[in-house]
Amino acid sequence: MPDSGYPWPIETTRLDNGLRVVVSEDRAAPAVAVNLWYDVGSRHEPDGQTGFAHLFEHLMFEGSLNVAKTEHMKLVQGAGGNLNATTNPDRTNYFETVPPEHLELALWLEADRMGGLVPALTQETLDNQREVVKNERRQRYENVPYGDSWLRLLPLLYPPGHPYHHATIGSMADLNAADLATFQHFHRTYYAPNNAVLTVVGDTTATEVFALADKYFGAIPARPEIPAAPDGRHVPAAGSPVAEVVTGPVPAPRVYVAHRTHPFGTPGYDVLTVLATVLGSGRGSRLYQRLADGERIAQPDLVGAYGVDLAHAPAPLIATATARPGVTGERLAAGVAEVVDELATVPVTATELDRAKALLSTGWWRQMSTVDGRADTLGRYATQFGDPALVARRLPAWLAVTADQIAELAAEVLRASDRVTLTYLPEETA
Amino acid sequence: MSLIADRPVPGLARPYRFPQVTRRAVAGGQVVAAHLPGQNLAVALLLLDAGAAREPAGKEGLGAVLANALEEGTARRDATAYALAVEGLGTELVTGLDWDSFQVSVQVPVDRLTAAVELLGEAVRTPRLDPDDVRRVRDDEATALLMDWANPGPRADAVLRADLFGAENRWGRPMYGDPDSVAALDVEDVAVFHSEWFLRPGTLVVAGDLERIDLDALGAAAFAGTGGGPADRGGPIDVPPRPGRRIILVDRPGSVQSTLRLGHPAPHRAHPDHVPMTLAGTVLGGAFTSRLNHLIREVRGYTYGIRGDFASSRRFGRFAVSSGVQTAVTAPALVEAVGEITRTQATGVTADELAVARSWRAGQLSVELQSPRAIAAALTTLVVYDLPDDYHARLRQSLLDADVDEVSAAAANHLHPESLTLVVEGDAAAVRDELAATGLGEIVDARP
Repeated sequence: MPDSGYPWPIETTRLDNGLRVVVSEDRAAPAVAVNLWYDVGSRHEPDGQTGFAHLFEHLMFEGSLNVAKTEHMKLVQGAGGNLNATTNPDRTNYFETVPPEHLELALWLEADRMGGLVPALTQETLDNQREVVKNERRQRYENVPYGDSWLRLLPLLYPPGHPYHHATIGSMADLNAADLATFQHFHRTYYAPNNAVLTVVGDTTATEVFALADKYFGAIPARPEIPAAPDGRHVPAAGSPVAEVVTGPVPAPRVYVAHRTHPFGTPGYDVLTVLATVLGSGRGSRLYQRLADGERIAQPDLVGAYGVDLAHAPAPLIATATARPGVTGERLAAGVAEVVDELATVPVTATELDRAKALLSTGWWRQMSTVDGRADTLGRYATQFGDPALVARRLPAWLAVTADQIAELAAEVLRASDRVTLTYLPEETA
Repeated sequence: MSLIADRPVPGLARPYRFPQVTRRAVAGGQVVAAHLPGQNLAVALLLLDAGAAREPAGKEGLGAVLANALEEGTARRDATAYALAVEGLGTELVTGLDWDSFQVSVQVPVDRLTAAVELLGEAVRTPRLDPDDVRRVRDDEATALLMDWANPGPRADAVLRADLFGAENRWGRPMYGDPDSVAALDVEDVAVFHSEWFLRPGTLVVAGDLERIDLDALGAAAFAGTGGGPADRGGPIDVPPRPGRRIILVDRPGSVQSTLRLGHPAPHRAHPDHVPMTLAGTVLGGAFTSRLNHLIREVRGYTYGIRGDFASSRRFGRFAVSSGVQTAVTAPALVEAVGEITRTQATGVTADELAVARSWRAGQLSVELQSPRAIAAALTTLVVYDLPDDYHARLRQSLLDADVDEVSAAAANHLHPESLTLVVEGDAAAVRDELAATGLGEIVDARP
């Protein structure tokens, strides 16, 4: 068993304005990853402003005080780099990987949009990116079969007012209503150095990065009070199962079984991670063996289970299966529920446990095999747990999970009375 | 507050380096390996000359069915025992198929690589291929394709490919087949395809810390029980561009977006214009900052994204653009996309655009080639296209050396805006009249 999941150096500092800086040097490849985690996500959005954190992420690429519109992408790609950003319920991250001689450019660009976005924000930019985001919603969620499953699961899992009740993409109505002043305010409120973590991994040194961080970010003022998102840690148990059936243009019945578990980063979620792998990762998993191979009621390449790594409330476990031709949604749902139920009653064998841990180990090292994967992970641990060095503990924690712990967790959080079941049925069989 | 206004100048560039490549003949096959010192993870990938182009016309999907059937048990153990053995090492068999090759690979912590390659060899060389299992796998694959074809995209792709290359040719049909072609496959076909193409040794590509890897042992495991030499691979196929542009409508009633696929034939992989063509494609549609994405997404807001590129295999190639646009703006989006292709063909690229395109492409050879998986893919390129060990360094140099005249000439010679096939998959009733009014070309309806 390895005693560390992170055998690279980690050095940290904090600028006077509160910006935390994390550096992990690695000279193996001529590349350097720059990553910013802002501690703001869709969990901070009030009613009527769903989708704003994500739409805001788009605006961050449209120019700032010293960077003309469209120049951001052009400068990073013109430096040979990759770049992107993502928003989820917990946070927003921005990242680029560049050849090391362009590290300073990347830091300059990030500092300029952290400290100088508002003066460059125009109505035209907002209108354009609003349309882009609405097209993203159509492409990812509306125009594909089962595309809205995540949008439907969240309100079934989390009650109104809970920070995870609504999906990050937001509603069309809220997006249409978004006005410029709200976004100017959003930036002033959350895009402050003391609400962010800057992580740099790769072909550089901590000394160099600390000096550059101070040079480019040092003048950006801290914001004294950053409003917290609503507290979502305690979700009242539903007390009885929740089920929704959707009839629509889908090619086969599909079932999602979901439970609230523990927040990412807790010991309970470590157990959940191993449990999900036993349940639904690979051909040796219980769902595959029982439903795809054994009873043959599920399509083999569409069966699985996973935890969604959210840190600010009990995170979801989702198990899913899609029916083979001739199998009803009802039978499939019963099959998935039975396999989930058995996690509490049929002990996980040593073979199942070893298999899950071996798969998780490979997955961990795959995430660590690139500088960008490492940078994002360090940024997460610094933002969510206050210390990037805690990253080293995750893999050993998974490897220490026992069969008894899995059975106990299943009995605690996978009860049928706390279950959410979402079933899709094709129109013609309705 | 004082942000620094001046954009920093680049530091000193590090010399480019691609990992050291080792080639070795082992047990009748070839091993091609890259040394990644200190990497905990390693990848081994068996490359067989059994790409989709080896499937007879009318038997599309054989390779994909065989790929899944490999894991339904071997001469030594049944499917469950095999899955537990492979996943107990922390890996899964990953199969891949393109026009030129069939690939099967494992990715594991380096100390488990030999055991993983032994299991890989066991599945590829001695699969059980029980007829009942193969029949079930075939039916599952047909169902999986039906699921996939319920999404926007696959039907449009198939219509475009057929129009470019002719549905009577294997390469004019979908790479993975379609739901009907797979459902019609005989169990016998699968066994024959295996014995014809999966028992030749092929090449084992390895990326990892070679100080901790025994290449001879890996080769012995991958090539055990193989025989037969390389087969003739055929020369480039001449595909003439179609005379005149046309629109093909694929009906998807009620669709909130129109899925666009625009394309025409283009040169094969070994064509001398490969690099300037790649750069012309990058300026036009290959990067976020490209002409198409700038106009259609960033200026007009019609789409979440639009991409275009030249792609090629050993025997043929194509230029294609793909996007999804809101139904109401289908016609203007199509007109503007064709307009950008026409403008690029007629007037070439600018120095500024080319500067971004070539540094981006060159830089990708540094920032993208980090993981064992990415290095293994780069080695695969060397093997499939018969390229030298220093290919990536040379490619980088020729990207950086390409000038405006050369790239503009490639755009002029290899873009054919007047011969584009314009496939629109969307709500036909909602878009037909506006498409007709554009005058872009005659409208034909795809067979349902």
